[in-house]
Order: sequence, then C-alpha cells, then structure tokens
Amino acid sequence: MERLRILRYLALIFLVVTGLNLTGCAKTTVVLLPDPDGKVGKLNISNEAGSVDIDKAGEATTVRGKQSLPSKPEILPEEQIAAKYGEVLANLPEQPVHFILYFKSGSTTLTPESVSKIPEILKTINQRQSQSISVVGHTDTAGNRQYNLRLSKQRADVVGKILMGKGIKKLYIKTTSHGEENPLIKTADNVNEPRNRRVEVIVR
Amino acid sequence: MMKFFSVLSLIFFMFIAANPCLAKIESIGFIDNVQGEVLIISGETSVQGVPNMKILPGDLIRTGSNSSVGLIMEDDTVLSLGPKSEIEIQEFLFDPAERNLSFVAKMIRGTFSFITGQIAKLAPRKVKLETPDATLAVRGTKFVVEID
Repeated sequence: MERLRILRYLALIFLVVTGLNLTGCAKTTVVLLPDPDGKVGKLNISNEAGSVDIDKAGEATTVRGKQSLPSKPEILPEEQIAAKYGEVLANLPEQPVHFILYFKSGSTTLTPESVSKIPEILKTINQRQSQSISVVGHTDTAGNRQYNLRLSKQRADVVGKILMGKGIKKLYIKTTSHGEENPLIKTADNVNEPRNRRVEVIVR
Repeated sequence: MMKFFSVLSLIFFMFIAANPCLAKIESIGFIDNVQGEVLIISGETSVQGVPNMKILPGDLIRTGSNSSVGLIMEDDTVLSLGPKSEIEIQEFLFDPAERNLSFVAKMIRGTFSFITGQIAKLAPRKVKLETPDATLAVRGTKFVVEID
C-alpha cells in the first residue's frame, strides 16, 4: 500500500517535471540576409550538440534547446521572411556613414578635393538629423610622435570648426586624435604618405 | 611635516587615479528609434529609452508588447529589437588603435535584427552573440534572430 503511494507520488512528480520542461523549451531561429551592398556573409551557429554554417541569402536554421543539433539549413521564401521579420527589419537603423578628408603635407590645410566634400557631409548630417558626429584626426609618420599627435589634434579641430561654422552644434561633435598611430596605409617611420594625412568624419 | 603631507597627497591622487568608479565611462552606442515601452536597465536603475540616449557596457535593453527599439553602436553595428525582447550587452570594446576589440551580447528572448560593424570585420573571433539555445559566430553581417 505504502509503495503504491510512493509510486503515485513519483509519477506525479515526473509529469510535473516533463510539463515544466515542455513549457520551458525555447527555440532559436537564425536567418541570414544579404548585406546592404548585396554581398552575403556567413554565420556559424553552435551549441553542446554541434554546429552548422549558413552562408546563403535567406538561409535559416532552428535550434531547439542546448542539447539538440541546429537543424539542417534551409532557404526561407522571401515572402515568409518579410511577413515574419519585416517589422523588426524596418526598425534597423541605417549604418553610420564615413567620410575621409585629406590635408596638405605638415599642415592643417585641406586639399581642394576634400574642401569640396564638406557639403556632402553636411547633407548627410541633416538628412539623418545626426546628433553623434565623430571627427578623428590622423597624420602620416613624417616627424616625431609628439609633433604628429599635436598636428592630428589641430586637423580634427579645424574640421570640427568648419562643421560648427556651418551650424552643426558643438554638443553633437566629438573630436579625437590618433596622431601617427592609426594609419590607413601602413608605412615605416618618417614616411610622407598623403593617404594617412587625414581626418575621418563619422556621421551616425 | 611638509614631506609627510606631500606623500599623503600623492597617495590620495594615486587612489583617485586607480579608482575605476571615478573613471569616465564611455558610451558604446545610442538609441536611434523607439516605439512604445523600452527600458534601458543599467545596474539598479532603469529608464524609458528615448532617441539619442546613450548605451553603456553592461546595459540590459527590454521592450514591451507592441514596442521596438533601434540602436547604433560605436563600431557601426546596428541592431533592432522587436516586441517583448530582451538583450544584455555584456562586453563592448572598440579601440582599433590599441587592438582592443570585443562584442559579447546575450539575447534572452524576442526578435532581433543585426548588421554587424567593424569589430566583426577586424576581429570576427571576438564577436559572440548568445541565445538560450546556441552561440552565433559572425563572419558578416546582416541577419535575424528569433527566440520563442
């Protein structure tokens, strides 16, 4: 009699535990999409049971729990992706835009081509109503580090002032300087490299 | 006596310099767009998200029903959360000059879309996005994740 009761209890506990397991069972679906430039990247989805790669536009895998292998990738129809994920994709912000402005050697004077790029930067700032604009100054490796750190700061300040002169609020502009430490083109020390004499403007 | 004070003030300044709480915490991103109820939870405080609000490392972002939020991160990563979604930005380091790069986030529930940025480009191994069921390694760049 006593044993029967214990068995009943055990059965009940078993049912409750499996019930909890079922309700607690989560599922993750991952869908790869083409990049804004049309290229298709690659994702690897892994857990304790193994891993799969997805590398085609619209390819998806589903994972039901940590101990179960991600499902064999399959390509979802475009309409299904739009119906299920159209909303979250519509709220994806536009990626920040980068501009590079170049300077004459050893100076804080912009090259004529770079001067003519300023209107495009302003247009982008206004279009995006951006309140986060980074202005990052760089130099080539000609001259010593200390000199270049100062020069890169002066270059960033010059560009910051140009933007402020066109009505962009100071509060929205963050100027930093990297000296010769972060070249676009890697060179030995004391090399004149026009492509490294630059200020990068990032409009977010 | 003078010497004693100068040593004391030196110790005091060393203490200030070494105290991480007094260091300025740099923001790692900001809110681009918000609909409905969006909470930004930093430690013990939680506030309703509004456009241009800064995101800090460790922040938890949670949306209510019929709500959504879009974020822009320092490395050009953009992401959005659909309704009833929750993500914790556990680690975000973007300092290419010093080669300090990492992006670790935990998606707890809901729907997400991503376009990953420069961290994934420069150091793909340093990007780790987790869901309750799996870990995503990203080699580029646009994708959707749904947890249900």
